[in-house]
Amino acid sequence: MKKNRYAFWFLGNVALAIAALAAFNAVAGSYILHHPCGGSVETLSGFERALKPVWLDEIRPKLVLIGSSRVRDGFDPTLIDPALNTHSFNYGASSMTPYEARRFVQDALAQPSVTQVVVALDAFTGNGGVGEALPSFDETRLAVTPEGTPTPRRRLWLMTTRFLSGGALGMNALAAWSLAQLKEGQTAADRPDIFGAYSHMTRAIMERDLAYRRARSMRMGEAADRELSVTLAAACHAKARLILFFPPDNMAIIARYRQSDGPGLDAFKQRVSQAVASHNQQCENKVALFDFLAPNALTTEPLKDGVSANYVDLVHFRPPAGLWLLRQMGM
Amino acid sequence: MPFNSYPYFVFLAVAVLVFRLLEKNAPTARRVFLLVASYLFYAWWRADFLLLLCGSTLVNYLLGRQIEKDREKARFGRGLLVAGLAFNLGLIAIFKYDTLFVGTADRILDIGLPIPHFFLPLAISFFTFEQISYLVDVHSGKTHNYTLLDYALFVAYFPHLIAGPIVRHNDLIPQFRQARTGNDDLATGITLFTIGLAKKSLIADNLAPFADAIFNAAGRGVHIGFTDSWLGTLFFAFQIYFDFSAYSDMALGSSVMLGIRLPVNFHSPYKSSSIIEFWRRWHISLSAFLRDYLYFPLGGNRHGRPRRYLNLFITMLLGGLWHGANWTFMLWGGLHGLFLAVNHGFRTATQGMQAPPKILQMPLRVASVALTFTATGLAWIVFRASDLHAAGNVAGGLVGLGDSAIVSFSPLAAAALLLLFGLVWFMPNSMELMWRHRPALPSPYPDQPVMSARRLAWRPTPWNAAAYGLICILAVLALSNLKPFIYFQF
Repeated sequence: MKKNRYAFWFLGNVALAIAALAAFNAVAGSYILHHPCGGSVETLSGFERALKPVWLDEIRPKLVLIGSSRVRDGFDPTLIDPALNTHSFNYGASSMTPYEARRFVQDALAQPSVTQVVVALDAFTGNGGVGEALPSFDETRLAVTPEGTPTPRRRLWLMTTRFLSGGALGMNALAAWSLAQLKEGQTAADRPDIFGAYSHMTRAIMERDLAYRRARSMRMGEAADRELSVTLAAACHAKARLILFFPPDNMAIIARYRQSDGPGLDAFKQRVSQAVASHNQQCENKVALFDFLAPNALTTEPLKDGVSANYVDLVHFRPPAGLWLLRQMGM
Repeated sequence: MPFNSYPYFVFLAVAVLVFRLLEKNAPTARRVFLLVASYLFYAWWRADFLLLLCGSTLVNYLLGRQIEKDREKARFGRGLLVAGLAFNLGLIAIFKYDTLFVGTADRILDIGLPIPHFFLPLAISFFTFEQISYLVDVHSGKTHNYTLLDYALFVAYFPHLIAGPIVRHNDLIPQFRQARTGNDDLATGITLFTIGLAKKSLIADNLAPFADAIFNAAGRGVHIGFTDSWLGTLFFAFQIYFDFSAYSDMALGSSVMLGIRLPVNFHSPYKSSSIIEFWRRWHISLSAFLRDYLYFPLGGNRHGRPRRYLNLFITMLLGGLWHGANWTFMLWGGLHGLFLAVNHGFRTATQGMQAPPKILQMPLRVASVALTFTATGLAWIVFRASDLHAAGNVAGGLVGLGDSAIVSFSPLAAAALLLLFGLVWFMPNSMELMWRHRPALPSPYPDQPVMSARRLAWRPTPWNAAAYGLICILAVLALSNLKPFIYFQF
């Protein structure tokens, strides 16, 4: 084989594969965004860090929900939007680090359509410092840099992510397949086998969770504290309103936090309250704070043989509970 | 413009296409085009620093020309050379090292010095070193009255601009003027580029999160546990190996597509059986530069053994600091200087001794490779750590002084490590795979020549077109994130 023919076949094959990738991502992306239950795919776990910034840019929501898997699982835009007459977007991602939480908030606040940004504060626990993010997080997709200036060539990066990335291929394939499983008239709530956010906790899950989280604590390290301060500062001159909440982990888990590091939990709550109070004194754009990490209708729900109406496991609440939380926040 | 991004793929395709259209009939136009393309490539990052690159190029070129003219008039003074060195070192000192030096002085003296924070211009370490080598060679009469166009292209030529290889004017400039004889370079270039892309996106980028998690925790003051320390050290040793070799392959592959050969820069360094050999296989263009322009001028081995070891130590110390404005890099260089001095001392002490019996030669070689890998691996800890405390936290963990449990030694981790050791120790490297097709200029170390691989050597067959095409597709699919090369920060 001559080298010129080799180059022709090589480049031809690669170009065809890239064209197929772009075509699939374009078709699947359009199918997802126009599906009546399209918002429900935001509760799926996959390559959410890769594609959610692209979706945020395309969906142009009013309300953005940010946090770890608690948020990702617990807020379904398909359920929220008609109930609250809004246009929401779930920007949750598993094991979100404090830095990622700050950056996603900066991204959401910079979107012209957004009027409210709701953030679950468990993302600001742990010790992750500046720049620490999980794989598939990428600064170039976010609207602003860490310093708050517009990200250079963001449109280009969003375009390559949307059409040409393997992350988008994975997320689009998962999301399109999940939606295709819904029959006429069905919603994600009817298929908890696919949309796991709608499944129910069982006794086995509860016991596994209690064992898995037996030494868990919820405290905020210095680096996370700094990220929270930067987040609040970003909200000071933003058009959108920032709403923070302590997530409604079940009382059984709150008991674990107290057992492992009660003072750490109290210090976390106190520090956030102080930071919000200080922010509200200095800035016109006030930040709201809600504490659901305490006895309330959700966290004290009586569990019959481990089965819960509100939880998938002891920390992940179901989308109907997420809607209840938003109502408690006055939405 | 990162090599591992779609914009670069498009840029490279356009550059190759236009260059090939121009090359037959317009030799000057093709060089002008390459220079403009190279400046666009640099400006993509920050257009304002293009002025610095152009200014530095012009000053060095004018100084070089004046030194050449002085030589022609038999004036051999060193004034202009010293001025040129001062200009280049001053530039790099201002932009790269001022914060480190002033900050350290302030910490020691505690007098509240204002600490400047300049933005580090991309590639400044590389284009400064290349221009220093040019001025020294002009002064030694090794240059040939280059035109400004050729000189500017030598400095800015995009495949080597950002992170090397550090090229010599006499390697590159004659090639700019030569017309290519064949039309085969595209196949060789895209294959080499693909190997590099796969190393980066499929291997190095997937190791990074684990190494990052451990070293970031160490930076936060966590005392790293035994398993974490060993895994973090090994994962980083492999990450930087694949990251830098990926970069080198992509740089050389890009250049081959244009019909221009860059010097070989990476030649399976973890197969080395000594630290001396390691530095003839790792970042070859840097070690050759340090040898020729720092170690030899310091006296090399001409003034006795103690002085030789001191020269080696100083060379590596400064070579370490060249990597970045952090004492950790200097310590890393110092460690390698120490290793090299010990290695040379051992060689001198055992010189003239009878060779070991044949039956022992293989086990001794295996032990030497393992020892060299261990030494370089341990030195990587200070290279990667954010500061000396973080390095101490990781190093302490190696002997069980910490208690973290950030990653676990799973069967998957064990399999990954086995695979990585297999790749770096038993597989031919990309240069060996491609060597028959002249992908690079030969190594400057004649005792470590690149030889063509006996097995798996690349040939332009339909099977290879399919196999490398598939690797390319997988590598492209893994490009969900923009992860810069480690050496881009230097």
